[in-house]
Amino acid sequence: MSVLPPVRKDRIIAQLPMFFTKEAALHTKDEFNPKVKTACQQQKTGTVGFKISKVIVVGDLAVGKTCLINRFCKDAFDKNYKATIGVDFEMERFEVLGVPFSLQLWDTAGQERFKCIASTYYRGAQAVIIVFDLTDIASLEHTRQWLEDALKENDPTGILLFLVGTKKDLISPAQYSLMEKDAIKMSEELKAEYWAVSALSGEGVRDFFFRVASLTFETNVLAELEKSGSKRIGEVVRINSNTNNLYASSKKKQPNCCQ
Amino acid sequence: MALQGTEEIEEQIEEPEDIQDQDARISPAEEMPGDGPGEEESDPLLLPWDRFSAWLHCICVVGFDLELGQAVEVIYPHHSKLTEKEKTSICYLSFPDSNSGCLGDTQFCFRFRQASVRKSSLGCFLDHFDRDAPVCLKRDQGHFYGYVYFRQVRDKSLKRGYFQKSLVLISKLPYVTFFHSLLKLIAPEYFEKQEPCLEAACNDIDRWPTPCPGKILTLPIMGVVMKVRIPTCYDKPGTSQLVQSTPVRGMLLLDTLVSIVLPTIHEVDLFRCFYPVFFHIQMLWELVLLGEALVVMAPSPAESSDTVLALVSCISPLRYCSDFRPYFTIHDSEFKEYTTRTQAPPSVILGVTNPFFAKTLQHWPHIIRIGDMKQAGEVAKQMKVKKLKNLKTLDSKPGVYSAYKPFLNRDDDIIKQLQKGVQQKRPSAAQNAILRRYFLELTQSFIIPLERYVASLMPLQKSISPWKSPPQLRPFSQEEFMKTLEKAGPQLTSRLKGDWIGLYRQFLKSPNFDGWFRNRRREMMQKLEALHLEALCEEDLKLHIQKHTEVETVDLVLKLKDKLSQAEREQLPVRTGTLAKLQAHIEAIILSLPEDLQGILHKPSSP
Repeated sequence: MSVLPPVRKDRIIAQLPMFFTKEAALHTKDEFNPKVKTACQQQKTGTVGFKISKVIVVGDLAVGKTCLINRFCKDAFDKNYKATIGVDFEMERFEVLGVPFSLQLWDTAGQERFKCIASTYYRGAQAVIIVFDLTDIASLEHTRQWLEDALKENDPTGILLFLVGTKKDLISPAQYSLMEKDAIKMSEELKAEYWAVSALSGEGVRDFFFRVASLTFETNVLAELEKSGSKRIGEVVRINSNTNNLYASSKKKQPNCCQ
Repeated sequence: MALQGTEEIEEQIEEPEDIQDQDARISPAEEMPGDGPGEEESDPLLLPWDRFSAWLHCICVVGFDLELGQAVEVIYPHHSKLTEKEKTSICYLSFPDSNSGCLGDTQFCFRFRQASVRKSSLGCFLDHFDRDAPVCLKRDQGHFYGYVYFRQVRDKSLKRGYFQKSLVLISKLPYVTFFHSLLKLIAPEYFEKQEPCLEAACNDIDRWPTPCPGKILTLPIMGVVMKVRIPTCYDKPGTSQLVQSTPVRGMLLLDTLVSIVLPTIHEVDLFRCFYPVFFHIQMLWELVLLGEALVVMAPSPAESSDTVLALVSCISPLRYCSDFRPYFTIHDSEFKEYTTRTQAPPSVILGVTNPFFAKTLQHWPHIIRIGDMKQAGEVAKQMKVKKLKNLKTLDSKPGVYSAYKPFLNRDDDIIKQLQKGVQQKRPSAAQNAILRRYFLELTQSFIIPLERYVASLMPLQKSISPWKSPPQLRPFSQEEFMKTLEKAGPQLTSRLKGDWIGLYRQFLKSPNFDGWFRNRRREMMQKLEALHLEALCEEDLKLHIQKHTEVETVDLVLKLKDKLSQAEREQLPVRTGTLAKLQAHIEAIILSLPEDLQGILHKPSSP
């Protein structure tokens, strides 16, 4: 009974998008988890509803959080700087493996005076995008603090972390490779997946958000399978008597590393 | 040839023909991601704070100053205007007025008269939304609502020993449930984190889509997305609720952190509110319907405001047209006007908590005493309406005090049904739904004969001539209406017996009838204007002017222009394309005139 128009054609994800660099990726598999794929095929029967994930974007003042989101959501870049007051919000709809999926993007203010309210906005987030400016090493240093704040009032288990360097267009390749080393080191420390992008040129922005959407979606489905999982999916399988999938999906709580 | 404009300009109309189209859209929506605020963001007509103003007038923080007493500490956004009188009202109405021991957090609502009529520049734009809203959800023209979140906790670090503060949303919108949910999200955060929190919340609200009836609105606030649907006047009563789909197991917890679906924006829990007096619900319905002076004496503002709002809404879809004050204090600017003994009590419903009122309003004809809700169990046994003379002091027993004899016989079935529900511990939501449906059916049974009669006052389509003024509506005749009751009275839809005729007679004298009838008459007159306009557009105007002098033609052009601007201004319910057609007619006639005249007539018409 959807009241919504269909998902935009350029928001359909059928394949798992690749990581940015192998050295700092959340995982390096080149396909969606088979359990997720199977579940999605069966969701076409309409047994599992639609999903939504909350994503917060944090980082220092003027590192380009809003520009990053605007490049992706509106395909726009505004050279003028306008500080975010409190928090901005965007909703982006995807279709992953044929299943409707939405990201709620909460774009938080980098200003010190809004730090006190940030934890309110962080509640329930499934992914945290920590943004730094590739031309400003201090902003990379501060990502540690941003993460700590973000996780303070949240259960950190199951939260996906992304470390994103912006303004790649402003930096020479030589400077960049120096910066990247530090950034990857930081990623390892934070257990975050590293990306470098330019909101001005658009380089990497779409790939990045597709990756965020895909990984949060995957985690989401896996968590759901684990929680309510085997019984419910099992029933569906029996009705469909789809022998191919029966084994894969009716086994209880298989470890994720089955690939 | 007479083309006349009507004087009434700023009123809104319903579009009865649209019912079919609109109905298709109001099926209960599933929990789906609505389009984000981004959808409307491109609207170039909206300036910063316009979106905010469409929802709220302002947000106030009211605190207690040891020297000044209650004071408005902050107004957000800073540029919002409130007169001194309004500020004073907000101060007093935002705090409990007796030491009622509201320890902890309390939410309630009040309503106060707007000090001066000011039309915001957004007025027209907002009226546009109001047009599609049900009568009881339209913007309140002369009043503001205040939605309060009051916190009173012990705090030894403060001189008074208590932290006492209210966060108050001031709005013209009567969305009580919605604003209370909103306050639940904002206020606790504000009390902990102070101003940046308000600034962020206001910024969130200023990015919301405008409160457009019928759409599912996605409203991000404080890290949560609220989803609501404002009903439209085309909804079938009782069908337009936004229903949350059953959450996928395990996802529930997560989802409440991420999004909240509000099933209703304005409905209070009728059962909970009427529980202390539920033997008398039908009598209360009559009292509200007839616009009788009613006062609710309750132990706290939360209970007084809930009960007053429940009373006002029990005659929905009829609009309660008199003044009502969910929480009224002795400091209110209307205190003298409403409590004077030199006149009969006015047609208003007041909610009060101050014991002083037990004396001041002793002469009022109908008094509802609500006890402490906590002891509600025993209250439900009170069957009899009490004599007024028994009400003397604050510690009078809960119940309804009145000498009123209901016109209709009591419906014992509903009482039994609700009582059974209490015994079987039926959920409050189910009890509320039963009671709401009961009131709805009762009100509809009552109003349908009136609707039918009033519709018959409309002149026949064939009496509309483009070259005459639109025909007049036939006048409302009480006797004629009463005659229709024999065959088409409420007995068709209600099994309740009693003196329906007497009830109608009384109702016809009440402000509720007056308000209802004015509204219907305006709609019908606009409909006539619209039909007239359509008839005019079908005429061959060029042929017509050939038979007339130049002076008459100029006169026609001016009148047509007038008619066109009236239709645009009042958003007359004309068929699509009619206005464009009329514009084309005007152009064509002007072109047939001598050139010098053309120049003059092409100038923008003077107002």
